[in-house]
Amino acid sequence: MADEVNAPQVKEPWRLSLDSWAVVIALLAALLVRTGVFKHIPW
Amino acid sequence: MADAVVIPQVQPVQPALRFLRIIPGVLLLAAIGFAGKLLEQNVGKYAKAHHWIFPNIEYVLWAILLGLVISNTIGVPEIFRAGVATYEFWLKAGIVLLGSRFLLGDILKLGGVSLVLVAIEITGAIAFMTFLGRVFHLKPKLTSLLAVGSAVCGVSAIIAAQGAIEADEEDSSFSIAAILALGALALFAFPLIGHTLHLGDRAYGIWAGLAVDNTAEATAAGALYSDAAGKLAVLVKSTRNAMIGFVVLAYAIYWASQGQAKTVRNKAAFLWQKFPKFVLGFLLISVLATYQFFNKEQVGALANLSRWAFLLTFAGVGLRTNFRDMRKQGLRPFAVGAIGEVVIAAFTLGLVVVAEKLFGI
Repeated sequence: MADEVNAPQVKEPWRLSLDSWAVVIALLAALLVRTGVFKHIPW
Repeated sequence: MADAVVIPQVQPVQPALRFLRIIPGVLLLAAIGFAGKLLEQNVGKYAKAHHWIFPNIEYVLWAILLGLVISNTIGVPEIFRAGVATYEFWLKAGIVLLGSRFLLGDILKLGGVSLVLVAIEITGAIAFMTFLGRVFHLKPKLTSLLAVGSAVCGVSAIIAAQGAIEADEEDSSFSIAAILALGALALFAFPLIGHTLHLGDRAYGIWAGLAVDNTAEATAAGALYSDAAGKLAVLVKSTRNAMIGFVVLAYAIYWASQGQAKTVRNKAAFLWQKFPKFVLGFLLISVLATYQFFNKEQVGALANLSRWAFLLTFAGVGLRTNFRDMRKQGLRPFAVGAIGEVVIAAFTLGLVVVAEKLFGI
């Protein structure tokens, strides 16, 4: 007797990868520094 | 009538909820990283004031050690886990921002030399790990995963290869555990060897980038030596990462020809999907810095942002390293990985020394 698996088909929503998110956020941060929103980042 | 197992539709987690779930862990990473920075500044001063002999320990090591102690004593509570897992995100964002400290000319010069070294390293590492897997009678796909992990870029490469060659979950977790355990050892061993051999910053940075498998550990092993070595380790490791698609594609084609994996139809799409996008971000920021899109102060600010991102990464490296979990994974894959890593480390060290003499890298 075979088991049937009735899983509804869920279409995966399109998502940015972790890699791409890191690039987007880093570029956004660079743009904020460039436009003078963040003038000095202490260390 | 056949038994029907109905799997309820899983409700996707709302983005806002996902964001809230990572906050405690990110705060923990920041707290550990900041504590590491405070310890760097104050322990040395305290020891000096009390006339103690105490080595100057940098924030990188303090952050990793604090993370290791928490992970291996009380453990990381569930509430923090989602946020702690973001350390890879901080690593990649930090690498992109670090691009501001490289001029395009340096990247082309160093990238050209490191590309040759990386090609030799990848070929040698894959050949040696395959040989070791046969000697130790490991399953062929487990051997492939260990070879990809040690030749290219640790955990990301293993995960990418697992799907492409249709390897077992178990093989994948064996390989990941071995690569992580060896990465943790490399963190402490590499700077010690580098100092013992009096390696210069450039030679050491290139060596760490070539031989340490996981990007986070390679970045930390470089930064533990010096700032300049850390920069070079990231550059060389990123060159290695850029090769991930080609190596995984070669393995996918091989296993498909053996009838044990699906055929890759669109090779260009496969390469793009596996290509680490942060390498492109790093190059873009470097091009912008080269053409003076940022002034000197802004480059300084971006470099500091990159340091903060790495600080969170180093705390995460310590927190996700759990020696108990690694011990559970078995000895043989670990032994193969360990022998392989020692040989690859010695081979790449020789390669760097020769390249330094011949090309003055």
